[in-house]
Amino acid sequence: MKVIVIRTGGMAGLRRTWEVTVDDQPDSESWAELLTRLPWENRPKAPAQPDRYVYEIRCSRRRVVLPEQQLTGPWRELVDRVRNTEAPR
Amino acid sequence: MKCSIIPPYLLQRLASLEDPALAPVAAAARASLQRDAPFRGIRVGETPPPTTADRRSTLTTRTLRDADRTIADAGGTETLPGTVVRVEGDPDGSDAAVNEAYAGLGETHDLYRQVFERASIDDNNLPLVATVHFGDDYDNAFWDGERMVFGDGDGIVFTRMTASLSVIGHELAHGVTQYSANLVYQGQSGALNESVSDVFGCLVEQRSLGHSADDATWLIGLGLFTDQVEGEALRSLRAPGTAYNDDVLGKDPQPAHMRDYIETTDDNGGVHLNSGIPNHAFYLVATALGGNAWEHAGLIWYSALTNGTVPATADFATFGAATEQAAIDRYGADSPEHTAVRDGWAGVGVELAPLPAA
Repeated sequence: MKVIVIRTGGMAGLRRTWEVTVDDQPDSESWAELLTRLPWENRPKAPAQPDRYVYEIRCSRRRVVLPEQQLTGPWRELVDRVRNTEAPR
Repeated sequence: MKCSIIPPYLLQRLASLEDPALAPVAAAARASLQRDAPFRGIRVGETPPPTTADRRSTLTTRTLRDADRTIADAGGTETLPGTVVRVEGDPDGSDAAVNEAYAGLGETHDLYRQVFERASIDDNNLPLVATVHFGDDYDNAFWDGERMVFGDGDGIVFTRMTASLSVIGHELAHGVTQYSANLVYQGQSGALNESVSDVFGCLVEQRSLGHSADDATWLIGLGLFTDQVEGEALRSLRAPGTAYNDDVLGKDPQPAHMRDYIETTDDNGGVHLNSGIPNHAFYLVATALGGNAWEHAGLIWYSALTNGTVPATADFATFGAATEQAAIDRYGADSPEHTAVRDGWAGVGVELAPLPAA
């Protein structure tokens, strides 16, 4: 299973993608645990703040788009972990 | 009709209406101009000189005050506002980011005050606040609705974000937009919001450096990239799509023409991408007119942004029409300025909406 994080926006408007294949990770069980905590259904709309990042997160067939201000809790944990595991392209 | 909230250039037009059916309207406008003339500084029947900024009519006299700046330090955390480290009047300290933010706020405030006669970003002397050292290796800067926030960059791709006056001006301009046209940060209105920030960011930097339209770099974020990056800046208004071309970052994706408009769900509908189109239109107008861009094209754009004729959901065609009308109001129909504005938008493939009804 892949977790894909796509970050766009920001002042520079750069597009960066990080991809982690969870099953290949040495700590795949703790990854799986984190994935179960993702609040896919709970997505309150937040007003856009100029020049903040926009995060698109994909896992299995699920997809969410979050403004940077809403990248909190398990979402933030996931993105930080993905970024620490793989280099962006 | 409450004459006192109608701006003077519009009253002038109404005052000279010749249609007999509109005689009461013309008379009311003339009476308003006569009554308010001592406060407006123009005489009834006179056309305001083209070099003065439009005065906003208000019922109360609004003084143009000095900047009131506060800089805070988030200390590498993402907690706002952070700790206040410098207030208005404090001298430079040892922290370059604090000094740059303070100076940049001052230069930006000065552009709006001296050139556009605007009292800070809300035209009501709003104190200017910025937070520096936000986040860890944070390659970004943003406007959060109340303050500017600057990261330090990661030192690999980006240096600190306060190092560019055009970036500081860009962020503060988001505040000006918020308090005026309030362009929705999505799709074409969002790209316009971004473009307005790039335009006024450029103007702050150009005025600070004394660069005319012909001398200027027309770059946003010159000096932000480290030496390791193959690229000059984040964006170019002169040549969108050419600011950088790097192995890691990729190539500058901005279009310069409507034919290359990018439909995407990224970036709130590509607001940092498609801003290249109105950016380039401004560049074309500014260079067609020559001289200092903030004194010519800048006045036209500022007028359109703040005169109440641009809806928050405006698309390029509607905003372009507002700039065309602003050029006509200030300089006259078929003036060089009006022609430059029409040609500028045509040059990026934007077909202007019909002019707002008089």
